[in-house]
Amino acid sequence: MNAKVNIRRLKTGVPGLDNLLGGGLPEFSFNLIAGSPGTGKTTLAHQIMFGLATPASPALFFTVLGEPTLKMLRYQQQFPFFDAEKINKSIRYFNLSIELVEGNFDRVLKSIIEEVKKYQPGFVFVDSFRSIVHAIMDKTQGEAALERFVQQLGVHMATWQATTFLIGEYLVPEAGSSPVFTIADGIVWMAQNLHRNSLVRKIQVVKIRGQEQAPGLHTFRISDNGIQIYPRAIINAGASSDAAGKGNAGEGRVAMGIPGLDAMMGGGLPSGYSLLVVGPSGSGKTILATEFLTEGAKRGETGVIAAFEKSPSQLLSNQLSALIKSRQVGVIETRALDLSIDQTLHDLTEMITRTNAKRVVIDSLSGFELALAPEFQEDFRASLYRMIAELTSIGVTILMTSELEDRYTDLRFSPFGSAFLADAIIVQRYIEINGEFKRAISVVKVRGSQHSKQIRLFDINDDGIVLGAPLSDYTGIMTGRPVPSSANSRTGQ
Amino acid sequence: MKSSDLFRDELIKNYLDRYVDRDAGDLIILWERMAIQIIALVGDGGFNSLYERSLALTQTTFPWLVDAPTAVQSAQRCATLRLRFEEQLIAQARAANHQLLVTLTDLLASLIGERITVVILKMAMDSEHAEVNSTKESN
Repeated sequence: MNAKVNIRRLKTGVPGLDNLLGGGLPEFSFNLIAGSPGTGKTTLAHQIMFGLATPASPALFFTVLGEPTLKMLRYQQQFPFFDAEKINKSIRYFNLSIELVEGNFDRVLKSIIEEVKKYQPGFVFVDSFRSIVHAIMDKTQGEAALERFVQQLGVHMATWQATTFLIGEYLVPEAGSSPVFTIADGIVWMAQNLHRNSLVRKIQVVKIRGQEQAPGLHTFRISDNGIQIYPRAIINAGASSDAAGKGNAGEGRVAMGIPGLDAMMGGGLPSGYSLLVVGPSGSGKTILATEFLTEGAKRGETGVIAAFEKSPSQLLSNQLSALIKSRQVGVIETRALDLSIDQTLHDLTEMITRTNAKRVVIDSLSGFELALAPEFQEDFRASLYRMIAELTSIGVTILMTSELEDRYTDLRFSPFGSAFLADAIIVQRYIEINGEFKRAISVVKVRGSQHSKQIRLFDINDDGIVLGAPLSDYTGIMTGRPVPSSANSRTGQ
Repeated sequence: MKSSDLFRDELIKNYLDRYVDRDAGDLIILWERMAIQIIALVGDGGFNSLYERSLALTQTTFPWLVDAPTAVQSAQRCATLRLRFEEQLIAQARAANHQLLVTLTDLLASLIGERITVVILKMAMDSEHAEVNSTKESN
């Protein structure tokens, strides 16, 4: 017989939150939702409450001085999770203002317990708990009384088998000294940072007893649908070693859709790899990416594209538009300038899972960086590393494009120093031959695989990319002005 | 949508019709129950604001419907309202009572929505009904 108590984990109904909590909310736990004003604490509490409350396990929401209840109800019901039919059947509000006028913790505790006995809720919310503390401690009672009050409240709620949430405005320096933070079984901290005119909301499960939470800060959004959390991608040991060693190399190859390119890559791109296609503007990176998706569609493999270069309405080529219309390729909508990597990753993985996609295109990393909120731009390389590891760990093959200005004086593969993140690299560039711009392509890296070292001319016509002859008779190609080898031999160079 | 088209208005009308033979004092019972429900939801301050505004709007038709100058508790407000009704003919009191109920629930619905307002109204009516039944049973 297993003598351990089995703690049920409740699904909160808030997208992403259960992941942060380590699988859900422990039943009968005593929790604190804290943060500065305007961070979304009351919205989170309501979303959890409407998600969890049922007639068999109702919720009791105690309102205190903080936000006027009239206004709270007015605005909260704008969210789709607010089901007015649940009021009174599954959810009851109770105002504690009168108890606070008397300024006594015991009176407040008595009222809460009386209502809990009467209504027998499965969930209890107190908003704002901070108002109770302020109203009472400013009058007569001190820290010791607060600690006793919180302890008694916690014990009573647990014995009445109610999962409890205290909601309160706290600033970071206060957090360490308040007894609530010590007594709480779970602490969810919400914050919002304004960085170069960009607002980023973050959430952290500071503490959750008895289970392992997803550590660190995670981004979230409050949209018309309520709160959506984007858990930060954390690379596990398996994913990390896969990303580095590519244990599945050679297990399967992905055709690129461009005659001759698969041969240059040693038989195609190994499945589950990330490929970086770099080149200057107009060199044909997006066309190569489109061919990659088209080839997948021909083979019955769904694709997903996150297009940061153009809006969906002006999407690229007819070829790609047709793939999107026929649902062979899904498009990730990108909200410019305030994205987080994790939000993009969430949207990508959601679409990959939904469509069972095998091929993913990110076009381009330069546009992606621009679409991120400024504070994430500073951490772009590390975030990109996490994202690629996460995506490749779910088995998709990724093609990323990156614009790289031709300099002809040095050899670079990425403006972000992100070339090491890719398992394979294709470089496109312009060269000048006989007074004309020509395009050249080469495969410079395919991890764990033999590949061509040739530099080949290529052209773009109505059929897409057409590979030309290898530039084996030229030298000085990297300078952008190749010279026929025969000319060198004539001059004795 | 006009409030007269609403289920809420029908609820109020049916309730008042059911107790048409009651006197002015009986009209107050629903107000007392409403006060309890609204205060539980939005607090004393919320109820007082709603009531004062509703009274001000209803006074344009029934100018005699004035609150006590120092009334701050809902019980005091209900007592004053009872006095005002008793000072009038019962038909006049019933008409004012109906309009005040419609005005307050209109105001509440404009702030927290029709559905929650109906929930509050029904709870107040049901609690009175339950109380009447339990009194009958105990007798």
